[in-house]
Amino acid sequence: MNVNMKVTIGNLTLKNPVTVASGTFGYGEEYSEYFDISCLGAVTVKSLTLKPRLGNPPPRIVETPAGMLNAIGLQNVGLEVYLKEKLPYLRQKKCTIIANIYGTSIQEYEELAERLEKEGGADAIEMNLSCPNVHDARSRYKCPLVAQSPEWVEKYTMAVRSKIKLPLIVKLSPNVTDITEPAISAEKGGADAISIINTLLGMSIDIKTQKPKLKNVVGGLSGPAIRPVAVKMVWDVSRTVKIPVIGMGGICTVNDALEFIFAGAKLIAVGSFIFRDPLAPIKIIQGLEEYCNSHRIEDINKLIGSVIIS
Amino acid sequence: MKKIHECIIRLNNEVSPNHYRLVLQNKDIPIHALPGQFVMLEVSTGYYPFLRRPMSIERIFHDGISILYKVCGEGTKILSTLSAGEKINVQGPLGNSFPLPEDNKRSLIVAGGIGVAPFPALVEKILNIKGIAPEVILAGKTFNHLLCEKDFRQMGCKIHLVTEDGSAGYKGMATDFLKSLDLPENILIYTCGPLPMIKNVHEICNKNGWLCYASLEAEMACGEGVCLGCVLPARIEVEKEMMVRVCKEGPIFDTRIILWDKIGEE
Repeated sequence: MNVNMKVTIGNLTLKNPVTVASGTFGYGEEYSEYFDISCLGAVTVKSLTLKPRLGNPPPRIVETPAGMLNAIGLQNVGLEVYLKEKLPYLRQKKCTIIANIYGTSIQEYEELAERLEKEGGADAIEMNLSCPNVHDARSRYKCPLVAQSPEWVEKYTMAVRSKIKLPLIVKLSPNVTDITEPAISAEKGGADAISIINTLLGMSIDIKTQKPKLKNVVGGLSGPAIRPVAVKMVWDVSRTVKIPVIGMGGICTVNDALEFIFAGAKLIAVGSFIFRDPLAPIKIIQGLEEYCNSHRIEDINKLIGSVIIS
Repeated sequence: MKKIHECIIRLNNEVSPNHYRLVLQNKDIPIHALPGQFVMLEVSTGYYPFLRRPMSIERIFHDGISILYKVCGEGTKILSTLSAGEKINVQGPLGNSFPLPEDNKRSLIVAGGIGVAPFPALVEKILNIKGIAPEVILAGKTFNHLLCEKDFRQMGCKIHLVTEDGSAGYKGMATDFLKSLDLPENILIYTCGPLPMIKNVHEICNKNGWLCYASLEAEMACGEGVCLGCVLPARIEVEKEMMVRVCKEGPIFDTRIILWDKIGEE
């Protein structure tokens, strides 16, 4: 059977519903020795900022049960180097590119999105409104994330929406009481899709030194440990908004990917498990096709949100 | 180049209390492996531990590689329970390799404890290419922590044993012993061991104008330069501070580029 694996986000058609989570795949080229990266539905690149960023001081990662904490702090080459040195490879490989962007103000998000659109640097823009690692956790005010304020989410989304025609994705944080609130705001602001979830805030302490294991004190938890949280949030949001949901959080295998799709995700992203098995995204693409074949599903879109709740 | 391999474990033996040698059978890894490079071992097929374990390559054979490791956490504890005949998933070889000494240049290895792990392959390479084996300062807490002595002797290295408790050779620290040696200005130093030792070796080298390459380690998730977890602050160009990835720009570094004051204990 010839299964339709194509999915659409806004006006963008992806060859299959599998991408990678920003920050777990570099700028694509790093994993090109492992598999043909153009086989991915899309390559989502590491968060880009206007200027290069050095990131947080090490140690930046710590392994935790069934996952890891990271506090990289958005180290990246910056927009100019991306356009000059990273983009040509992705274009030459004919990859569909989701450019994840991070700004410290609405203006920065606007500028990043506009430049990327103008210079052909992306096929879709993902606004990272939810990086947990760019604020000092010790500060009294704890600097809330944009994604923690539905009002700001709408404002930021609307501003960028008005500047670009490219499909616009908003990446939300699970560190909220009710994820549907910022999701509704993103939809109102004109987003074409919502990515959930970014990492969950966490902390790990070395009992010998009595100090936090991360220099940044706190970090973002990812890996299979967070998967049930992510599946539930995908289910919550996909029932609430009309725009597609991109599901991520601890996806390791095709079965995990199916859970997210059944919960309502149209596209799924493999994240930190790529560090463990760089071939995981390809295995999942093949696995999804095999699943559809063996279950006589001619179009993968039919599986979206098909969880049976009696 | 294929980078993910199913390897058969040939040997996994305790060579000293808490220290093991793992011999992996595989024909692809040795074709590309260079001294100083590392591999990432999948110690569990489940999610605990979640990440692979980065390990220096100890020796490169025509049909496999060996790895020397110390049990120091959950991952290495599981690794130590694997037996000959079992399979293990290996990613690599990864990272850069040791630069080799120029013609007629003497070289000296300063190895502390399990930090000896990448050196047998290096000695073998230098011996093959230059015909002269490097000198080795083999240091450890006690004589139980001195590994590979026999291998180095067989390869013709002049060895200086150093133990903190005096149970073998010179009593004291590797760095004290290094200071006591009369070495030519153009000597090339290789070092690996506990971070404070590497830092001290670097300072001694710096003072004497000796070129020093260190094999460094860090908590690491991907081994491919993607996760940006294993970075260290460094200065490659004047006045320009940057982060170098132990897995990609390293694990072998000219110690002069690392900003030693900014890492380790504050």
